[in-house]
Formats: sequence, C-alpha cells, structure tokens
Amino acid sequence: MQSTQAHLFPVAGDIRSGMPPVHLEQFEGPLDVLLHLIHSQQMDIFDIPIALLTRQYLELLEQQDDPRHQTQPSCEQKIRLDLDIAGDYLVMASTLAQLKSRMLLPRPQLDDEGNTIDPRAELAAQLITYEQYRLLAEQLNERPRLDRDVFARSIFPEAANVERPLPEGNLDALLLAFRRVLKRVGGEARHQIFVETMNVREQMRMLLARLTFGGLQLDEFLQDTPGREALVTTMLAILELWRQQNITVIQSSCYGPVTLLAKQGMQ
Amino acid sequence: MSGTDPLTSRIEAMLLASDEPLTARRLSAVLGEHIASGDIRASLLELEAHYSSRGIRLAQVADGWQFRTAAEHAEYIQRLWQARSPRLSRSALETLAIIAYRQPTTRAEIEALRGVKTSGSVIVTLQERGWIKVSGRKDVPGRPHLYGTGRQFLIDFNLNSLADLPESNQLLDDSDIRQMANSTNEANSNEQQTTI
Repeated sequence: MQSTQAHLFPVAGDIRSGMPPVHLEQFEGPLDVLLHLIHSQQMDIFDIPIALLTRQYLELLEQQDDPRHQTQPSCEQKIRLDLDIAGDYLVMASTLAQLKSRMLLPRPQLDDEGNTIDPRAELAAQLITYEQYRLLAEQLNERPRLDRDVFARSIFPEAANVERPLPEGNLDALLLAFRRVLKRVGGEARHQIFVETMNVREQMRMLLARLTFGGLQLDEFLQDTPGREALVTTMLAILELWRQQNITVIQSSCYGPVTLLAKQGMQ
Repeated sequence: MSGTDPLTSRIEAMLLASDEPLTARRLSAVLGEHIASGDIRASLLELEAHYSSRGIRLAQVADGWQFRTAAEHAEYIQRLWQARSPRLSRSALETLAIIAYRQPTTRAEIEALRGVKTSGSVIVTLQERGWIKVSGRKDVPGRPHLYGTGRQFLIDFNLNSLADLPESNQLLDDSDIRQMANSTNEANSNEQQTTI
C-alpha cells in the first residue's frame, strides 16, 4: 500500500489517513465516499482540507485494486474498477485535483459584491444537498411500509405451489371477441378463388403423350399453342419434364432447331 | 364496539371488504347522497380512534382509508407468511427520495444530485412497483422524461399525501446551501491558509 501510494503521491512526511480499508460497493458513488471521509474524521464540510481529502480519496480508489499489492503497479492496474462506475469516481478525482490547484494558486478573494470566493463552495453545496437526500431516503425507508411492516387484508403473497385454474371456456364470449376483431380489421375477410385455365401438369401429360410417337421440334410444337398463357405453361411443362429427366432437350448447333425427345425414345 | 351507530358500522364493513384505500368520496357514492359527508367523516374518525389501540389500525393513505395491521406486529405477520418483502437498495431509495421531493424531475437531475449514474434497472424497478411514473417531458433539448410519484407510492409508504413526506419543509434549496457555504467561509477565511 505504501508503495502504491508513493507513486501517485510523492509527498514528504507522508500523512497517512489511517482509515480502515473500505470497499466501494458499500458506497453510492463519489459523493457518498467523500461524505464518509469527511464525517469519519469530523472535518468541517464548509472548510474541507482539499489536499488531505483528495489524497485519501485516491488512496481509497487504489485500495480497490488487488489487495496483495503488486510491486510494480501500472497506472491501468491501479484503478481497476468497473468502467461504468469508475467513470463517476474518476470525474470526482479530477474535480478534487482541480480544486486543490485552485486553492494553491493566487485568486481573487472577493467577488463583485464583496463576498468571499471559495472554490470549494460548490463542492460543499453538492455534498450537503446529497447528504440531505441520503437522509430523506433513510427516513423514507424507515416509514412503516405496506407488505413489509404493515399489512392490509386481502393482499396475500403468493406461495409457489398455488394452483391457478384456467378460466372456464365460454364459446359465446369467444365468438363475440372474434367478431369484434373482425369488425376492427374491416369486415369479413374472403378468399378469392381464380379459375386456372392452363395447367402445367395437364400440359406435361399431353407433351409426354405426343413424345411417345417420337421426337418433336420445339418450334413445331409451340406453333399450335394458342395464346401467351398457353405458351408460358407449355414452356414450364417442358422445363419441368426436363428437370425430372423424363425428356431430353437437344440442340445440335447454335441457333439451330431444338428437339425434344422422350427418355425411352433414346434407348 | 357495541352501541355504534348504523352508519359507522356500515362504513366499517365496507372498509374491511375493500382491497384498496376507500376515499370519502367513494364511500359517499356507495352510501347514497342522503348521507352527509360530515357524518361519514365523523364515522371514520370514530373508527380511527376506536382501532388506535388495537392490532388493526385504520390508516389514512393516499387520500383514503384502509385497515392495516399495526406496525409493531410486523414480525409475527412475516412469520405467518414465511415471507419477507425484498429489501430496497440504497440507490433505489435515494432515487425514489429525490423523485418524491423534487418531482417532476429528470434522470439527469437525479444523477447530478447523487453524483453517480442511475442504472436503468433502478428506474424500471421503481416503475414496476408503481411508485414512480413518467409525468411528461421536459422542454429542453432531448426532451427527457419527467418523473413523479404515483398513487401506489402513497399507499405503500403510508402517506396520505405528498405533504406528509417527512421533513419536506426543512429541505434547503440550492441557494440556501450556497449562502451557508459562503457565510461559513467568511468566518473561516482566516484559517483557510493554514488548512490547505
């Protein structure tokens, strides 16, 4: 501990706080820590010895490090706190350091209205305000609380083995609810059924039937297919038959005629 | 309670049967318009006095009336139920206290006062209990939520209204504190140089 402290604070005469070690988890943030330090040493909150307090505060942060104290602690290791929490503590550390330097530097002693300027006034105000709410929170906690200190009839804590029966089914209520939903989505939903004029399956069967008599030129076959819809259906039928390997499609030359052959016909 | 008048007896029955605090207005609505509100109030006060020394008390909470067990028997009720209500963390209590006394207030204000970040889970816990709720948005950049206490806060913390919060009148405002800080410093200004 002595060595770690010496790194951050090379102070002659080493004013040790002699404070018992504490854990940050006990505290609700930097203000809470400062109040602890101030009260446990009976410091005057309006006349805080900033240098001493800053040193003790940093010491306390360092204590949160490995309690076995490495011989060569690096800066990163010194304050190895949860970054979320550490952020607030580090902001306070820099505030304290800034206050300390402002106290050391020459500064105007009086403001425009002739009042004393104390750089620590803001921190003191912040501490007092926080202390008030801390006290109020304690008082709030001490009030008789429902379900902890006082109990009202008919609010019973649920035991783990309580059986919760399912509600009775009610068809009418269900139908009513369903009707309300239907009304909300805008009338009854209807299915629209379209008549399929061309059928790929039908076309496949027809094509296979014709191919049993021998190969067929694609152009010829498509010639007597009426209409765009029929053409598309026939093409789909050919592709499907080809995919299922029921027919073979042959094109002997580029841009040449395409011949359809039934698989059996090839053998 | 022999010799109690019928109205008081009727109100007593209603209070026992209700599972939430009954307001005088609600009692009046149920009892009928021919019953004077002054009579209802007199009956309530009579009941409150009657139960003041019993194991059950008639408590005034959230602007209503509710039968509750006396606080001094808490231990036995807990034993009876074999359950303890979960302890509140200090951060939850402090956050709640700040919201209760400063409402409406924002999360940023709470964090500034406590000097530490408020975790979202604390806010969520307090909201789930019905103790705090969003009362609006503050008209500043980002339009942050404004928090205030809900009715359940009064019910659970045995408060009739926010005015019953302990010592709310003694709460110093920021300017008071600043003044205190400065005036004390004037007195100390001579010693200052030695203490630094």
